[in-house]
Amino acid sequence: MARAKFKPSKLTLFIGLLLTGIIVLLIPQNVTARLNFAFIDIFSFFLNIGSSAAYRQEPANSSPFFVSRHEHNKLWVAYSNLQAQILEQKRQIDELGRVRMTEPDPATGLVLAGIVNRRKNEFIINRGSADNLKKGQYVLGDNAVIGCIEQVSTDVSSVKLITSSACKLHIKISAPDVNSYFNGTMQGDGKNAAKIINLPKKYKIKSGFYVYAAPKPGILASLRIIGRVSRCVADETNPLLWDITVKGAYEFDNITDVAVIVIKTEPD
Amino acid sequence: MRWWRFTFLIIFAAVLQTSAAMNLLSLTDLRIRPDILLILLVYFAVHCDSYDAVIISFVIGFAADITGMVLGPHFISYGIIGAVIAHIRKIILLKSTRQQATAVFVTGILTQMIALMLMQFKAPELIKTRVFEVFAVSAYSAILWFLIKWPVTKVGKWLGVGVHRFTARVSER
Repeated sequence: MARAKFKPSKLTLFIGLLLTGIIVLLIPQNVTARLNFAFIDIFSFFLNIGSSAAYRQEPANSSPFFVSRHEHNKLWVAYSNLQAQILEQKRQIDELGRVRMTEPDPATGLVLAGIVNRRKNEFIINRGSADNLKKGQYVLGDNAVIGCIEQVSTDVSSVKLITSSACKLHIKISAPDVNSYFNGTMQGDGKNAAKIINLPKKYKIKSGFYVYAAPKPGILASLRIIGRVSRCVADETNPLLWDITVKGAYEFDNITDVAVIVIKTEPD
Repeated sequence: MRWWRFTFLIIFAAVLQTSAAMNLLSLTDLRIRPDILLILLVYFAVHCDSYDAVIISFVIGFAADITGMVLGPHFISYGIIGAVIAHIRKIILLKSTRQQATAVFVTGILTQMIALMLMQFKAPELIKTRVFEVFAVSAYSAILWFLIKWPVTKVGKWLGVGVHRFTARVSER
């Protein structure tokens, strides 16, 4: 006698699958995120097909007087970071009578990572909690802050870029020729730039000012360049505030590898 | 329905949806891309019998979740809307391309809205899609349906679906 094949009714099937979906929805995000990262890990080769088209092959430089735009940006980033360090060193020298000079912070390390998947305002990198990565750590692209760690699994992490509307950073704005900083908060606009919010117009801000990521205990030891103020006008909704747009130091499509700032918690 | 071929198709569509190659089709600096999984959801919900359509809707929803960062919202929203389309299809045949494109547009908006509401419960900090983008992606996918209907129909026949029946169907539970 043939065994009867079990086939639930359509309603039973629908309710069963719906309940499964509700159970999956209720499972904590840090558990289900492993499945998302596993998918990216398994198919990383296929997911990156087509991304090489974004990397423009620049012709070999024949003139000794000119460099490519990307090289120029890298040099500008290195110069801006050095300038911030010099200003910080000058401030410490000013306090020499009361404060002993400290050695450069030996607790800061960098974890290099490759980008395995690019999404809108988000990167997926091939490093995770096994390399001491944690949520909230800053991520550098060619020495400029490009975002921070959003989610972490054992081998893979997601990076929300500064242009993401979910990315909020404490920043400092510096005039190129002034030894002072304006504090502020920057949030991505969801497109290709970020906005500095709630900054009163009493501060004299202009286009071209440098924007740095502010130091944060346990996350960032010193100022790091993010980009420049590209537009600074009065806010349409509140004329007492600025509407400041910040452009990152680089086009994100040109970044191939990143570095995550990991503050060591235990001395060697 | 040839389920192994369908599994291969869904994996291929999920990888394609997430790959950098789709950036070639993206529009504006908001990077509006068409939703391949949404198009497949509507196609299978319209052309399969309703029992298979329920299973397929949830599977495509799971694939949509896997390609994102939150598991669960699209699994539920695609499953519900796909089942609804499979029922509506008994009243409105949705045979013409324009009707199907309209179904893609409306389905895209409804599934994304439901998914966004469900994401509020699980991981609100991971919500990045804005209302304008929901409409834009749905419209783009609906317009793309006019261009890719023929290859999708061929793939459907390869899977054993997409055959119009004008006689009485095998009784569905």
